[in-house]
Amino acid sequence: MSNKAKNWLGRVIVLAALIFLPHVIKDRYFMHIVVTAGIFMILCMSWNLLAGYAGLLNLGHAAFYGIGAYTSALLAMKLGVSPWFGLFAGGLVAAFFGFLLGIPSLRLSGPYLAITTIGFAEILRLVAVNWVSLTRGSLGLSGIPLLTPIKWGNWSFKFYLEKDYYYVVLAAAVITFFCIRRLTGSEFGVSLQALRDDEPGARSIGIKTTGYKLAVFTASAFFAGFAGALFAHFARLVSPETMALHTTMDILTMTMIGGLGTLAGPILGAVTLTFFSEWLRYLEEMIKLDIRPVVYGFMLILTILFMREGLAGILRRLTERLRGGRPVSKGERKQ
Amino acid sequence: MAPVGNPAAGVINGLHMDTLFFQQVLNGLIIGSLYSLVAIGLTMIFGVMKISNFAHGDYCMVGAYVALFITAWIPGWMGWVGSILAAAAVVGLLGIVTERLIFRPLLTRWTEIDTIMVSVGLFILLENLAQLFFGATPRMMPDPFGGATVRIGPVSTSLFRVFCFGFSIVIIAALQAFLNRSKMGVAIRATSQNRFAAQLMGIDINLVYLLTFFLGAALAGIGGVLYGTLFAVYPLMGGMPTLKAFVVTILGGLGSIRGAIFGAFILGIAEALGGNYIAMEYKDAIGFFIIILVLLIRPTGLFGEKEGA
Repeated sequence: MSNKAKNWLGRVIVLAALIFLPHVIKDRYFMHIVVTAGIFMILCMSWNLLAGYAGLLNLGHAAFYGIGAYTSALLAMKLGVSPWFGLFAGGLVAAFFGFLLGIPSLRLSGPYLAITTIGFAEILRLVAVNWVSLTRGSLGLSGIPLLTPIKWGNWSFKFYLEKDYYYVVLAAAVITFFCIRRLTGSEFGVSLQALRDDEPGARSIGIKTTGYKLAVFTASAFFAGFAGALFAHFARLVSPETMALHTTMDILTMTMIGGLGTLAGPILGAVTLTFFSEWLRYLEEMIKLDIRPVVYGFMLILTILFMREGLAGILRRLTERLRGGRPVSKGERKQ
Repeated sequence: MAPVGNPAAGVINGLHMDTLFFQQVLNGLIIGSLYSLVAIGLTMIFGVMKISNFAHGDYCMVGAYVALFITAWIPGWMGWVGSILAAAAVVGLLGIVTERLIFRPLLTRWTEIDTIMVSVGLFILLENLAQLFFGATPRMMPDPFGGATVRIGPVSTSLFRVFCFGFSIVIIAALQAFLNRSKMGVAIRATSQNRFAAQLMGIDINLVYLLTFFLGAALAGIGGVLYGTLFAVYPLMGGMPTLKAFVVTILGGLGSIRGAIFGAFILGIAEALGGNYIAMEYKDAIGFFIIILVLLIRPTGLFGEKEGA
């Protein structure tokens, strides 16, 4: 069998397994965790596009997520717009804000960019808290409508249970993954990595850094907003806390542990940490201590110090060893 | 009541407006002095090691907890003075430990994202360890002056607040004297200007790193004691000083001590006035508005040097 056929066979098997998952596991709570992991997966992938590939450290990513969630929720609640349309509207509005945030970020780097993006998210969070007539302030919006059923002749599919949402999130995550894979593999993606590693150098060989930075901000914000809109119609509750620094911290912890600047990293990180944190929840109930965030912080530090390529790096080394090749460092890092 | 303030500005409520304005400027100066204590450490560490430490405000939190225990143990004035010394020592040591264990290993393969992220990890860790050990309930620290007030011109304020201002100024002056006059201080400044040249001149830059972290953290620890006495002590109290200190140092330009002091007072006064005259709800966002505006015009802050200096 040729390599290409093997790859395709692998993909089909994985996809089939994912499609049958809800039929094997009937537990609703488990499916809830899976859907949450899926939404975080999209968020982490979008953050990774900015931070991992373009080297733009956005510490206000939760703002895009929140914008998407509020946009879709408000459209559905105040104007009765279909949530399906809201998903894209949420992404588009977030993309617009991403473009806006991209403008001051063009000339900024490192800590300057980090603080500007934190400030951006903090300002938006305060707007959500204080614009009570629209957002109901810190109470948040509750009772957001579910996704409307899809009808096709006699056949209809209702979105009510976790497993129904599972398919939407699965589709969204798969589409996001392939979009981002396409983006990072294209000339655009390679230019971004050049920009990350050496901006003046990239400019000197004719890469238009300004346009690329704006584009990557916009694209990343679109996916984050989309994830936010999904979350709004799934959890049916959005509060200003969605945009708080803690959400961004979760996103970046997941991505770093999964492997920054790798395609598989955000997926591995989101899945591993969501399930790990559920397991820790059991442990917490046993020992009556809130140890989850401590473990998160510890893992983040250890990952950066000792396994910079994260879980994705470990996985790659393992597969290379299994294939009998010599493990090589891919050199994702800036020198 | 004796007429105070500027009579020329007084129409009907002129006197009252003036008093309010003066009160807010005073508040701004006091808060600004606290910001500068925290921000100086941040900017020194950035200047010397090019590390943006997002856990810097948590040094304040640790300092405040140290003070909380000392003041509960020794009552009155003595306890408070002791708590300042203990906070400076303990937090300074914590600074050294974090430098050695976390930041030093990253220096050899320095990337901006790695150092920022590792400090974010430290921030998450310290904040939640504190929550684990001390619980989430905010606790109050006794005012060493027993709540005495003083009158300054038209307004009265607590003696402790005035003391905070004076104390911060003294500490900052002492630090400036140390940096300008002592051999070690000059070594810190030299390393800040050019790490490699400093090394060539025979400066032990590892010692400079340790000392900078010790000083920066100790200052934040002292700031934390003042913060905690003015407001309250709780595990998440470090987040605000971190962000404020970053706003201040970015306003003044990262690495510049004078810029940090200047930025701290600008932010303190802008927040006090903006909170009063524009919108209280957005008080904590004022700093962010200012820096976004400043960075749009000058991407390395008001007094910042060009990148790569």
